Amino acid sequence: MKISKILRKWRVLVLIFALLISIISINYQFDTQGVIIKGVETNSTAALAGISPPSSNLAPTNYEKIISIDGKEITKIEDYTNIITQINNDQTFRIQTNKNLYVLLKTNTSSLGLNVDNVPNSNIKKGLELQGGTRVLLKPTTQVSDQDRDDLISILENRLNTYGLSDVKIKKADDLSGNKYISIEIAGATKAEVKDLVASQGKFEAKISNDIVFEGGKKDITFVCRNDGTCSGIRQCQESVNGQLCTFEFAITLSQEAADKHALITKDLDINVTSQGQKYLSKTLDLYLDDNLMDSLQISSDLKGKATTQIAISGPGIGKDQPEAVQDALKQMNKLQTILITGSLPFKLEIVKIDNISPTLGSQFVKNALLIGIIAILTVALIIFIRYRSLKIVIPVVITQISEVTLMLGFAALFKYNLDLAAIAGIIAAVGTGVDDQIVMIDEIRSKASEAYASSVRDRIKRAFFIIMTAWAVSVASMIPLLRAGAGLLTGFAFTTIVGISVGVFITRPAFAAIVEILMED
Amino acid sequence: MNIDLRAKVQSAYEKNYKKFLIIPVALLLISITVILIQYSKTGEFIHRDISLKGGLSVTINLAKDINFEDLESSLRTNFKDSDFVARKLTDFTTGQITGINIEISGTSEPELKKFLEEKLSIELTSENYSVEDVGAALGSSFFRDLIKSIIFAFLFMSIVVFAVYRKFIPALTVIFTAVTDIIATVAVVDLLGIKISTAGIAAFLLLIGYSIDSDMLLTTKMLRRKNSPAIYEMYNAIRTGLTMTVTTLAALILGLLFSNSIVIKQIFTITLIGLIIDIIATYLGNAPILLWYVKKNENK
Repeated sequence: MKISKILRKWRVLVLIFALLISIISINYQFDTQGVIIKGVETNSTAALAGISPPSSNLAPTNYEKIISIDGKEITKIEDYTNIITQINNDQTFRIQTNKNLYVLLKTNTSSLGLNVDNVPNSNIKKGLELQGGTRVLLKPTTQVSDQDRDDLISILENRLNTYGLSDVKIKKADDLSGNKYISIEIAGATKAEVKDLVASQGKFEAKISNDIVFEGGKKDITFVCRNDGTCSGIRQCQESVNGQLCTFEFAITLSQEAADKHALITKDLDINVTSQGQKYLSKTLDLYLDDNLMDSLQISSDLKGKATTQIAISGPGIGKDQPEAVQDALKQMNKLQTILITGSLPFKLEIVKIDNISPTLGSQFVKNALLIGIIAILTVALIIFIRYRSLKIVIPVVITQISEVTLMLGFAALFKYNLDLAAIAGIIAAVGTGVDDQIVMIDEIRSKASEAYASSVRDRIKRAFFIIMTAWAVSVASMIPLLRAGAGLLTGFAFTTIVGISVGVFITRPAFAAIVEILMED
Repeated sequence: MNIDLRAKVQSAYEKNYKKFLIIPVALLLISITVILIQYSKTGEFIHRDISLKGGLSVTINLAKDINFEDLESSLRTNFKDSDFVARKLTDFTTGQITGINIEISGTSEPELKKFLEEKLSIELTSENYSVEDVGAALGSSFFRDLIKSIIFAFLFMSIVVFAVYRKFIPALTVIFTAVTDIIATVAVVDLLGIKISTAGIAAFLLLIGYSIDSDMLLTTKMLRRKNSPAIYEMYNAIRTGLTMTVTTLAALILGLLFSNSIVIKQIFTITLIGLIIDIIATYLGNAPILLWYVKKNENK
């Protein structure tokens, strides 16, 4: 039997082994019922109930899955949202996951703190273009060292996490001219304020006249009140020129050093009395964000010369009606709190590129890429059949192409590589190169019997592999510069092409040669 | 092909092969002229799209049909100083319009968004609206960077080719063929008025690898043979090489028809043009030079 003979070839066994590893890594899910837990906020209701956030290197299909809540089955994210909103405050409920049963109490003071998503159907991580999201490419306005950039990245990470964004990737990117960039990718539909948050340096200064009392960051500010209605929130709303204006206010605690500075500066100020009889100091405490005056606060006369550590920070939010103004004020407050906690960036950044891809467009790309893949494989099969008129050749060619795609996807899943549009183009290119190589082999093997100048099969296969290896070396060589060029935007393409053709040359091509050799024997 | 005919073609080729060389050389010269004319007119060797010179690219998913011509003409009147391209995106399987894409430079994103929301009377949200905003300085620096990578790629490729063949003329011929492929493809892309994106540059790099496949095949078969005549190996190489190219071309053409992604379309278009040019450059350029080289060495 030829099949058993094929299966005894070690080159075929290597391919089968590699395919098995790929399929296990991809871990395709036929059953995608339920929702997965993507994140758990610290100190939230969910965290207190014992639900732990997934570790960062967990494969997507191994996330903890919510199966039912209070016995009601959860099949998709809408079910989850519906059931959670129907639960009354101060009521307990049970979440059954594939790992455990948790009992939670819904309250109106603290958030549930669960970040859920639909169950992914495989471990292949989709890149930005395929799942939607925002990518911002930032460039420092001045020359910076690698160390400066690393510091900046850790502040940015802290800032985005403090703001409440968990699915964020911040990477260094360079180009061939030695420019240094920072690339930030935020998955899913994101709000416009993210742009503000990453691009603003966040230099916060509280000044009386020209004297700085305190700055943003840990040195001067030891505590910022957030998510606690008693010391942070919207204080009042009023009519303004263009609609409504709402004021937010939150408490901060200053370090002793900053408080002493406050005492020193206010010591010599005069006291003014307003017409209503309120006593204020002659100068205001001016809050500046990135050198723009944000708000001026009156200082009560009893704080004169005192080392006060408790200060309330306020600022405005505007909108055409009250709900809009409240939303804007909340956003501004969250942004300011984030900046005060994480401090300013060591240098200024400018946004040089910003991409915002809608999830709808992303899912269309995925469907289309699959369609093109199938069409390409069928076209190749048809042309090969027209040329050689033999299923013994067409079938191994198709098997090889499908194997190569599987191996590349398996590689991406195994090494948690994000698959973007450029990477898909790379896969198509690599499979195309693979077909070229197979045709070279088929012609070398086929010519052995019928031709007058027959050399041995071994020689011919050896020569075919010489051609293939040379072509491989050239393709890899021509892709290497792209790995580093253009701030990493085409790295995915270069990387998948190199991996793809290498997988082809070292795994699928040898197996293909073995299979065709046996099938062509009489 | 029967033996008689093959013998006739063979003898005809052997008699005239040096004359064929005129065709790729002429192709190269015409292409250089086209590119120089383009350069003198616009100051650039290729038309760059927004990803390489800065600007906006917005894609809107639509559930309804729109008057596309009307949209184009009001874009023209509202953004007089801007350079723009608008495209309809359709689902090939159903023929339905799925969205529109507009590439524009010289305006701001909020301005364009406001115009589109009024014109199409829809609200643009992160669900139905995608935008790519590239700063002009970055676009130009990308372009310089990618041109550098093409030069490096050529350099690395040449090193590999010389290392493998260790013979000056055959190696140089392979490199010459790759140069012709790239330059002639650039000329055709210029003539068609295609605006090149970052993905397009990637396609040119890919083309280096693809176009060289057939040259490698030819050179290896003709130089590393034992007792068979060079022309016989050349014929085998042409047959194999053409099968490779035709297979790829067929897959590319169908892929182009069904693709809805601008990135994939551009990569496919450039590879397609390059491969057609490669047929001329390889079999009327590389093959005759090699044949002449082999014959000259045999006569020594």
